[in-house]
Amino acid sequence: MGSRSFVMMSFFGPIIILCLIYFLFAFGGEGKQHWNVLITDPSHLLDNKIMAQEDKAISYSFADQYVEMEEFRDAKQFQQYDALFEVNEKVLSNKTAFVFYRIKPSVRMQTRLQFHIERRIEEVMIEEFTDLSVKEFRKIKQPLNVAFRDVLDPFDEASDLRGWVGFFYGAIIFVFIFLFGMTILRSVSREKSNRIVEVLLASVHPNQLLTGKIVGIGIAAFFQFIIWMVVVGAGLYFMRELIFPDMLDASNMDIVQMTDEVKNQTRLDQLYASTEYNEFVNLVYERVQFGTMTAFFLVFFIVGYLFYGSFFAAVGATSGSESDGQQFVLPIIFLLCFSLYAGYFALQNPESSLTTFFHYFPFTAPVVVMVKLAQGYGPEASYQIYVSLMVLLTSAVLNLMIAGRLYKNGILQFGHRVKFSLILRWLKKT
Amino acid sequence: MLEIQNISKSFYRKVALDDVSLHIQTGEIFGLLGPNGAGKTTLIRIINRIIEPDKGHIRINGDIMTQQHLSLIGYLPEERGLYRTMTVEDHALFLGQLRGLSKKDVKIQLNYWLEKFEITDWGKKRIEELSKGMAQKVQFICTVLHEPKLLILDEPLSGFDPVNVELIKQELIEMKAKGKTIILSTHNMKSVEEICDRAALIHQSKKIMEGRISEIQEERKTGNYAVKFRGSMIAFVNALWTGFELVDKEILGDDKFIAHVKMRGDNNFEDLLKTLLGQVKIEAAWEVLPSMQDVFIDLVQPRKEAENA
Repeated sequence: MGSRSFVMMSFFGPIIILCLIYFLFAFGGEGKQHWNVLITDPSHLLDNKIMAQEDKAISYSFADQYVEMEEFRDAKQFQQYDALFEVNEKVLSNKTAFVFYRIKPSVRMQTRLQFHIERRIEEVMIEEFTDLSVKEFRKIKQPLNVAFRDVLDPFDEASDLRGWVGFFYGAIIFVFIFLFGMTILRSVSREKSNRIVEVLLASVHPNQLLTGKIVGIGIAAFFQFIIWMVVVGAGLYFMRELIFPDMLDASNMDIVQMTDEVKNQTRLDQLYASTEYNEFVNLVYERVQFGTMTAFFLVFFIVGYLFYGSFFAAVGATSGSESDGQQFVLPIIFLLCFSLYAGYFALQNPESSLTTFFHYFPFTAPVVVMVKLAQGYGPEASYQIYVSLMVLLTSAVLNLMIAGRLYKNGILQFGHRVKFSLILRWLKKT
Repeated sequence: MLEIQNISKSFYRKVALDDVSLHIQTGEIFGLLGPNGAGKTTLIRIINRIIEPDKGHIRINGDIMTQQHLSLIGYLPEERGLYRTMTVEDHALFLGQLRGLSKKDVKIQLNYWLEKFEITDWGKKRIEELSKGMAQKVQFICTVLHEPKLLILDEPLSGFDPVNVELIKQELIEMKAKGKTIILSTHNMKSVEEICDRAALIHQSKKIMEGRISEIQEERKTGNYAVKFRGSMIAFVNALWTGFELVDKEILGDDKFIAHVKMRGDNNFEDLLKTLLGQVKIEAAWEVLPSMQDVFIDLVQPRKEAENA
């Protein structure tokens, strides 16, 4: 654990993750901070009004006459504007307005623009077609929020987005398994090639050495993971509090800032607010049950690591040279990639029978269980996670026994060519 | 100290050891000899419990050897290695603790040996910074760090310059004086003669000889004598006549020689001296014992020839 690479990975790993999250936040919710929007409204439908209280993020100006898109694009006097909002008289019938932008607005900005115009058009329509005041209309208006629900999953727990979080967890498991599995492999084949293993074996039993190596490197991996969790957790908190306070907290999202009519916020307003609330942010901070996920993550991480770690150790022990080891690790890498694919497959086809198979198959279980866990097990299906865990645990123990035998019989063999018959012979030998 | 009883070991169809028994006494330096591939390393690995024998067992101080007894042993394998990126101190700490020493004891022992070998500034050096000979010394130190009662050294002198060979030999003699038992597996027959009390020769998986070095040499002596003299070689040869045979000679100077002579008929050493008196000036005369190199070749070569035939 004192090695330089361990310290570097402990420090830079979480920093890289935080940077990625930062960019996701930044691109998802930020972009250009202030927008100058020119509204061309030749029929004076909006009556040169957009809202009583201005939005700090958007400045609206009204054009005196109709502005063509080409004119807006090329004319010098319009270069100060970031977007042209075209509202014509047809808007009342076809409910369509156009926005021509120079730089694509963020989703957040698009929602704001749409919200503002929609509210103003609504006011115009109330005036045009009803005898109600805007306040009265909004009181009786019942926005219909249509939620699409799976009949088998009525609580909408099998969310794709949450599934991705599970996939991310699974991917982290495999990044760690790969990194530290390679450490096991390198360590075994180096000790073998520089012959120090003979000195070590004169003090400890081969199985003790193998177990000690896997467990020792596993503890280092676990320790590094904890460092990652702490740094990423602290980083997320720091981002939420200091860097993106407006974006990362719904309560900071002052709807009044958008319009003066929403003092008594309706559900629609809240819906808009929540739409604007970056989905990724919402996902990270609100919707994922990090406690449960992390607990199962740790369990599957440990057992998955033992399962795959014993493969790496067996490859290291059976190979005749260090380069042999690198070569024979390829099948394990393929298996790791396959398990990531299985995770993706489970994400796309949560109910497929192949997903069920992947859920119990020890090579793919750690990723698929994470995906399924994030999507949510039904109340009567939670036993599946324990069945999968038992299968994985049993396989890991069997694998450790096989690896132990290969290690014991192969660790003192040098310079040979690895043949299947030789491996079989070592496996048969007690 | 160590009793090796009827050990046999096969690797698939190849017999590595065939009913080998040895008795190694406390406080002796025991030479384990044999040509390459004879089974010495297999036997050493069995003693160290790295591999298990198919048959037979090993007793240490009268008890059947178990994993617990390994702390009594210090093992320096022939193909030895070190962690190249570790410092000498870290290495000693790792191997010392593996052998049951506390951190404090490792430091005390390491300092003792570094001072003894006058290499106190090596502690912080990484192994990759050391030359081959320097690394060999570190390996030796790591082997003896935990003050083992039984030392098993496989070719401990290879890779050392003559000065360091002498240094290690002296260390081994000193350890023997302190009551340690040492098994020395080597092809360096000169060092076997110099420091070993007893030896065994393993050839083609079998023990073909065991005994005290002096007794082995005595048993295989050919009745040759060496005479160191001043005078004429022609006069010397003439004096031998038909009763003795000149088998070898070394020229030490213009009129100074060592002649190796074989007795003929019933002639003995006294007859030889009587014959030579007055012919040359005898400075010394002694019975020539076969070197361990000769014994080794005598025992191994005929079998190989027979095998090839």
